[in-house]
Amino acid sequence: MRTLALLFSLGIVRALVGQAVGMAFGYGLVAVLRQALGLEPSPEAAWVSGALFSVLFALLFAGVLTDWLKWAVGKETELRHGPPEDKPAWTRYFGVDYNHKVIGIQYGVASLLVLMIGGILALIFRLELSFPGMQFLQETTYNTIFSAHGIIMIASILLGVGAMGNYLVPMMIGAPDMAFPRLNAFSFWIGVPSAVLLVLAMFIGNGWDTGWVAYPPLSIRGPLGTQLFLLGFYINGFASIASAINIIVTVLTMRAPGMSLFRMPIFVWGSLSASLIQATATQTVGLALLMLTTQRLFGLGFFDPTAPTAGIPPGDPILYQHLFWFYSHPVVYVFVLPGLGIISELLPVFGRKPLFGYKWIALSSVAIALVGFLVWSHHMFTSGMSEFLRVPFMFSTVLVAIPTGIKFFSWIGTMWGGKLVFPTPMLFVLGAISVFLIGGLTGPILGTVPTDLHLHDSYWVVGHFHATMFGGFVFPFFAAIYYWYPKITGRMYNERLGQLHFALMVPGFWLMSLAQMRLGLLGMRRRIADYEAGLGLDFTHAIVTISALIIAWAILIMVYNLVASARTEPVAARNPWGSRSPEWQAPSPMPEFNYDRPFEVVGDPYDYGLPGSRYVDMSPVAAGD
Amino acid sequence: MKYRKHFTAIIVITPVVALLTYLVLNAIYKLPIAASEEAVIIEDMFQAHFILISALFALVMTFMFYSIFAFRRQPGDEEDGDHFHGNTVLEIVWTVVPLVIVLFFGYWGAVMLSDITAPEPDEMVVEVYGQQWSWYYIYPEMDDMRTSELVLPAGEQIRLEMTALDVLHSFWVPEFRVKQDLVPGQIHHLRITPTIPGEYRLRCAEICGVQHAYMLGDVIVLSPDEFEEWVEESELAGEPVPAPRTESSVAGTPAD
Amino acid sequence: MAVTAEGHHEHHDFHEEHELELPYAQRLQNNRLGLWIFIISELFLFVAILMARFYLWRDPATGAVIRPELDQVLGLVTTMILLVSSVFMALGESAMERGDRKTFSWSLLLTAALGTLFLIGVVGLEWRGHVSPRDGAFGAIFFGMTGLHALHVLSGVILILIVWWNGRKGAFTPERHWGVEATAIYWHFVDVVWVFFYPTLYLIGDAVPIH
Ligand code: HEA
Ligand code: HEA
Ligand code: CUA
Ligand SMILES: [Cu+2]
Repeated sequence: MRTLALLFSLGIVRALVGQAVGMAFGYGLVAVLRQALGLEPSPEAAWVSGALFSVLFALLFAGVLTDWLKWAVGKETELRHGPPEDKPAWTRYFGVDYNHKVIGIQYGVASLLVLMIGGILALIFRLELSFPGMQFLQETTYNTIFSAHGIIMIASILLGVGAMGNYLVPMMIGAPDMAFPRLNAFSFWIGVPSAVLLVLAMFIGNGWDTGWVAYPPLSIRGPLGTQLFLLGFYINGFASIASAINIIVTVLTMRAPGMSLFRMPIFVWGSLSASLIQATATQTVGLALLMLTTQRLFGLGFFDPTAPTAGIPPGDPILYQHLFWFYSHPVVYVFVLPGLGIISELLPVFGRKPLFGYKWIALSSVAIALVGFLVWSHHMFTSGMSEFLRVPFMFSTVLVAIPTGIKFFSWIGTMWGGKLVFPTPMLFVLGAISVFLIGGLTGPILGTVPTDLHLHDSYWVVGHFHATMFGGFVFPFFAAIYYWYPKITGRMYNERLGQLHFALMVPGFWLMSLAQMRLGLLGMRRRIADYEAGLGLDFTHAIVTISALIIAWAILIMVYNLVASARTEPVAARNPWGSRSPEWQAPSPMPEFNYDRPFEVVGDPYDYGLPGSRYVDMSPVAAGD
Repeated sequence: MKYRKHFTAIIVITPVVALLTYLVLNAIYKLPIAASEEAVIIEDMFQAHFILISALFALVMTFMFYSIFAFRRQPGDEEDGDHFHGNTVLEIVWTVVPLVIVLFFGYWGAVMLSDITAPEPDEMVVEVYGQQWSWYYIYPEMDDMRTSELVLPAGEQIRLEMTALDVLHSFWVPEFRVKQDLVPGQIHHLRITPTIPGEYRLRCAEICGVQHAYMLGDVIVLSPDEFEEWVEESELAGEPVPAPRTESSVAGTPAD
Repeated sequence: MAVTAEGHHEHHDFHEEHELELPYAQRLQNNRLGLWIFIISELFLFVAILMARFYLWRDPATGAVIRPELDQVLGLVTTMILLVSSVFMALGESAMERGDRKTFSWSLLLTAALGTLFLIGVVGLEWRGHVSPRDGAFGAIFFGMTGLHALHVLSGVILILIVWWNGRKGAFTPERHWGVEATAIYWHFVDVVWVFFYPTLYLIGDAVPIH
């Protein structure tokens, strides 16, 4: 009984229950109303209402909205920090908590869970694709699964980006917390029902078959699952916008004394640039998804190419692509900018050398973010958009190579002449550099129109973006997890297992993406459940599947390592990496409000090897630590 | 200079690595045969890109692996690395050099694009219709003859006037290298000049629903003589019937 | 990773200190910045749908910019109503700055009332007017733009009512009234959006009669 009560006091359980209740409520509401009004039943409208109420109820039940609702009726609330008093301390990780570190960890765990869901989907459809002919899936199922794989993985990345931003940014800039702790909790908690909706979309009404891009007219004719997917995607946007605003404000107003913008740890620049994109571009994809939803529900013909009567202009499917890519191109830089920030952050620590060209790296992040807004149509070279647009977008696209190149060359400069050490985080940093390099370099060939005419919608693109996303996000994220693991748990991870993870994952990934690119050049289309035998594709497909399995094992090893080491491994030294960053000068795990007193920044962040230099001036830590 | 030895090593190693990378990539990256004039033109750009990829990959990776071996901390060493913060001249160099490279590629791409899309005066028009999940074609220059396989003469420029009847599809014959989406309600065109007689497969390259994987079509390229023969035969057979144009709910029918 | 939970408080010496509210001045600064970034974000939404309007409302034959025939009088009146409401919003805010609760109270109520009137004009009347949702791009964009804007007006009205209610109960002072300020900024923003929407819906391009 006690445990049951405890279970139901957990925010996550309440959110899920709330979501189920809300779903039933919303569905029933529409069903009953339509019945009462004598309209014919519309499962789609009922599900949409169910989905919207499910999100609202999940938030209400979890308790994220409580404070705001109280404000609305004029009650003051206090911002409670610290572990709950009447419950075990661990419960705070499963409920609404306003501490940025707790939220960061919640994001991180959610990201890994969602990554595993998306990964299992990948394994399922990879097994299907190992050989020509249909093995064990139906075409419909295949389409649903790969579409879900795409969007769920992207949700996972966004959660991971949130994890790094939330956990690290306030700590690195010496703030006690984020600027808006309640909004911060809201951003995370609205991501939960949105992820549930995305998963649910697979199982309801025949799934959906549009891929993660949801191009109309297919997405308008598609089965019911499409609608739930659109809503899940849409709701996720709230999380992005809210957390981006939070990070921007935090960085701009809450830095420690003496921390000028160019003295921030470099990761903060990555996070800031990514947030600039997230805060703005997300609106346009929201609009595009909303348009699809309303077209499905109310028949608003934004993208319907048939004109109802002569003289009235018809809709245009290509408009959707513009709106969609205006967000979805910049968002790929949201995926990588924090990750590249992690690379820049860790290289000096493990190279024992200053970061080469700090300002250039910092500003290149901003440049990537800004130029990234001007290239979206490179996804549409073959779409039939106005032809005169192709050449300008070709130029803008290849220009992104320059700020990205600056990062690579500066990383080389950082390693050059250093004293490199290679614990697991550094291994993943190096792996990330190699993988992101091939991912990036396979971009310009897509950016030049004549070559893209062949490569578009082929597995070359699949290879390109897995390499950029693994190199720019997944590997740096893993590096970050290992690197800050002692900070989070106070204990060291198991080094041997970390190395094993690396040794399986990076070569496994290399194999996978090279094989995918080969397939694409040979003529393998994306998003097909089946391919013909005898095109020279069979063997390479088998390789992709095998490497996928290798990657899966590697990730399982990591998960085991993370879970087991928190119990068994020895307590970590306070600053195991010899870092100069402020968070490593404080005890692990971090105190509730990070630093007892605001520290002062007295030097540059990466002056490794400069005798007597200091980055931060910490007030003496209270005795007993 | 302190690093002279190291730089010399890099200068020696990088080209070797680049060459090796290029060879490996060439073994992995294979294109189908180039069976259209456009494909032959674009081939150069593929090769140029592969060379660029190899060179830049080799450059960065050589530096990285060299650093890993040459600059790793020896056991027992507690020192930090050399202290330098950056070098503005270098930063400018590696901003400007890639800039020049990519601008060149942009320019080249633009020229090549206008090259492969330039109309020839006597191009032949074929209308292409895509629908879930099949293709058909209409030859307006041959009494609106309608076929279910695309038969083309070698050596002649064809303008494909394409539209979809339901959702997006995409016209792609990998051997021809070029691709164009079919959009319902709109007509878009694609120019190809097949060169090598033979049979090819047209593959729908835009997800279009359940059977997208199987939305294939046969493309037959005939020598000009054979093509004439085929035209006559088809007309004699009275076969391929004129297309029922009302089939689509879509506003646009291809212009001629 | 439940074990990590032991973390966070064990090493830390401030068990008593469970609350961290930043100083009011800092919170105010954060709030202002946050609100403005939010408004920039919203700008992307509204500009995007404006672009969509210019993309779609074109004569299929000539490509000229067109618009559906709408009720010009109604359009003008609703626009005036919304503009006037902004004046009262400003009045209410400055009243609060002076501590004039009475003026504050009726100004806000009036603003909310005018906002509601606007909604009645657009959603209640114009939506039943010339254009129907199924009229191709005309219907889509017309209902898209007015609907999106109406949602914002509606949320603005609700905010105003909340602020009014709390203001009556004395939640704001001349020194501390962020709630009022935020609502006012938001309301003006929604208003300015309409200043752009009105001409694009009612004035720009040749009118095409439907039905
Ligand atoms: C993390 C994500 C990420 C990143 C960082 C990138 C980076 C880039 N991408 Fe990628 N891309 C995706 C994710 C990403 N992409 C995804 C998900 C898709 C598919 C979406 C879908 O359809 O589902 C896609 C698709 C995609 C397309 C559309 C393909 C098609 O469908 O036809 C194009 C076309 O131009 C493109 C180009 C580029 C370019 C030029 C870069 C550049 O930013 C790369 C720049 C980096 C380098 C070039 C390497 C380092 C630089 C140097 C060493 C300096 C010197 C270099 C030169 C002189 C060239 N990408
Ligand atoms: C972060 C983003 C991300 C990640 C990590 C991955 C990971 C993988 N992806 Fe995916 N992929 C996308 C993003 C991503 N993908 C996107 C956006 C698309 C486009 C979708 C579209 O076209 O619309 C795509 C599409 C895509 C395709 C093309 C499908 C098609 O066009 O038909 C393929 C094909 O090979 C593929 C393969 C893989 C594989 C093998 C992995 C592997 O790395 C997966 C490795 C496995 C795991 C990560 C799971 C490990 C964990 C376990 C095994 C735990 C088991 C636990 C229990 C049982 C409790 N992906
Ligand atoms: Cu037609 Cu895919
Ligand atoms: Cu892109």
